[in-house]
Amino acid sequence: MQAIEVQDLRKTFQIQKSRGGLTGALKDLFARQYNEVAAVNDITFSIPQGEICGYIGENGAGKSTTIKMLTGILVPTSGQIKVNGYVPYQEREKFVQGIGVVFGQRSQLWWDIGVIESFQLLRKVYQVSEADYKKRLDELVERLQLQDLLSRPVRKLSLGQRMRCELVAALLHNPSIIFLDEPTIGLDIVVKSEIREFLKDLNRTQGTTILLTTHDLQDIEALCSRVIMLDAGNVIYDGGLDDLKTRWGKGKEVRFQFGKAVTASQLQAWTASLPVQWTQEGELVATALVTADTAVSDVLTAVLSQVEILDIQISETSTDEIVRQIYSSGSAEKPEVKIHV
Amino acid sequence: MKYYLGLVWEYFLNYAKTRLTYRADFWVEVISDLLFQATNLIFIFVVFAHTDTLGGFTEAEVVFVYGYFMIPYGLYSCFVNLWNFGDRYIVKGEMDRILTRPAHNLFQIFLENLDPPSLIGSFIGVIIMFWSGGQLGIELLWWHIPALIVMVLGSTLIYTGIYTILTSISFYSDSPTGIIPLMYNIQTYGRYPITIYNRIIQILLTWILPFAFVGIYPAALFLDRPEMIRMAWITPVMGIVFFTLGLLFWNGGIKRYRGAGS
Repeated sequence: MQAIEVQDLRKTFQIQKSRGGLTGALKDLFARQYNEVAAVNDITFSIPQGEICGYIGENGAGKSTTIKMLTGILVPTSGQIKVNGYVPYQEREKFVQGIGVVFGQRSQLWWDIGVIESFQLLRKVYQVSEADYKKRLDELVERLQLQDLLSRPVRKLSLGQRMRCELVAALLHNPSIIFLDEPTIGLDIVVKSEIREFLKDLNRTQGTTILLTTHDLQDIEALCSRVIMLDAGNVIYDGGLDDLKTRWGKGKEVRFQFGKAVTASQLQAWTASLPVQWTQEGELVATALVTADTAVSDVLTAVLSQVEILDIQISETSTDEIVRQIYSSGSAEKPEVKIHV
Repeated sequence: MKYYLGLVWEYFLNYAKTRLTYRADFWVEVISDLLFQATNLIFIFVVFAHTDTLGGFTEAEVVFVYGYFMIPYGLYSCFVNLWNFGDRYIVKGEMDRILTRPAHNLFQIFLENLDPPSLIGSFIGVIIMFWSGGQLGIELLWWHIPALIVMVLGSTLIYTGIYTILTSISFYSDSPTGIIPLMYNIQTYGRYPITIYNRIIQILLTWILPFAFVGIYPAALFLDRPEMIRMAWITPVMGIVFFTLGLLFWNGGIKRYRGAGS
């Protein structure tokens, strides 16, 4: 079954145009002019149950707006949404019982009271039975190591501590889908990886469907089997992360440091049978660009048999690099690949 | 229903926990509230220093009406506090959080802004009613108590309805409007004998902004004023009508909520 189904979803906002100067302001007072801006522009996708899906895009691409429509906060301008079998904004109170929401920039917890008391209150709001609550809280506290934090007021927690508590707050009622809007924003590496591990576990053991937006592509690499990329309100890529990498990645770079001087023509000759492109940085250093479908070991064998090598570095085009290129070109269409033989 | 009553209790407990740590703050609020009410009463005394009756009502009767007014007003201030709605929930976007929880959103906002100290005003209102009622020689009859409860509920619902309608304007207009302070001014009109105003204001206070139902009309029932008894019994009906209107406006407004920031 599909956990989330979205068809031709659109959300437009009316943005008031401000005219400059005092006369402009006076004119605005009486006759306002509006611009229609489509924050989300007829997007269509569906996410099956139990999938972890990353939702990425530049600032202002429409990620948060989509999440807010999926969670029932905003009413779409047009199009269909079905989440967990509900139309989110129509049966909001019943619908939210089955989802969990974490907004990295906003807290679900009460600022002045102890963490545990916030949880208690949420238990009442979500009508979780005492037994279920205790069992679940114990599990989560154990898993996220919150024992020492429970009695502290939320305002005295560090961001990392608060974020872990937010996760618990969003999961107390055992939702089958969770939405995370930039859950790792501003966190240090240790907490980030803790949260990633936790989400992965959750998905594996409970089959929870997870949709997260993030700017940190390591979140995506660590968690997501699927990526939806948004640009200016349009879906520009929807598919596996590996696909994205193979489509966009330029292959691997192998950097050699030789024991003695070699010439460009020698290098070309040694790897003549392989699709490799060489660039030299002086006599002793050269880099081979190996296309994605060629085994690096073949290149290594070919070179090793000819010359003494002091050092080898193999690097792959990073996801960051790939995504930066896509953002700047505004399209995930495959770029023209130059093949050098 | 049981669910919502349970939540009121839970939120009240939380209020107590956070607030009792700031005791001074608590008493400052109670006292400033009472001082505000006292100045209103003093105003009544000043007026009656110059005249014996106001629209056919004596001083003790007007004080009685004021006492009645304090009861629904205290309840309203305790349970329906929408003062900072625009700033806190629309501009800062806290509405996002409210909307992802499984209780009616307006009700959650009421709960998050509970203000139990206001209830002290209601108690003092009861005392004032008994005191001025005694001066007027009103006998306490068995039906006075249930009637008072029904009237107070009706009046509180009218207040809730009016302010819910006005607050939902925040969903339609970008910036909070100055309309609420204006209302706080107009609402005081309902505490005085409605017959002292000209026809247009009477209609306004009865049917459009029915503040007269949070004061003079229902109180007249206990003062045994035959000319207003029919109006008094309309109070609960007006309460239900305005509360329903409030909810409709609110639910319409919620659809236009745009969220804030990212």
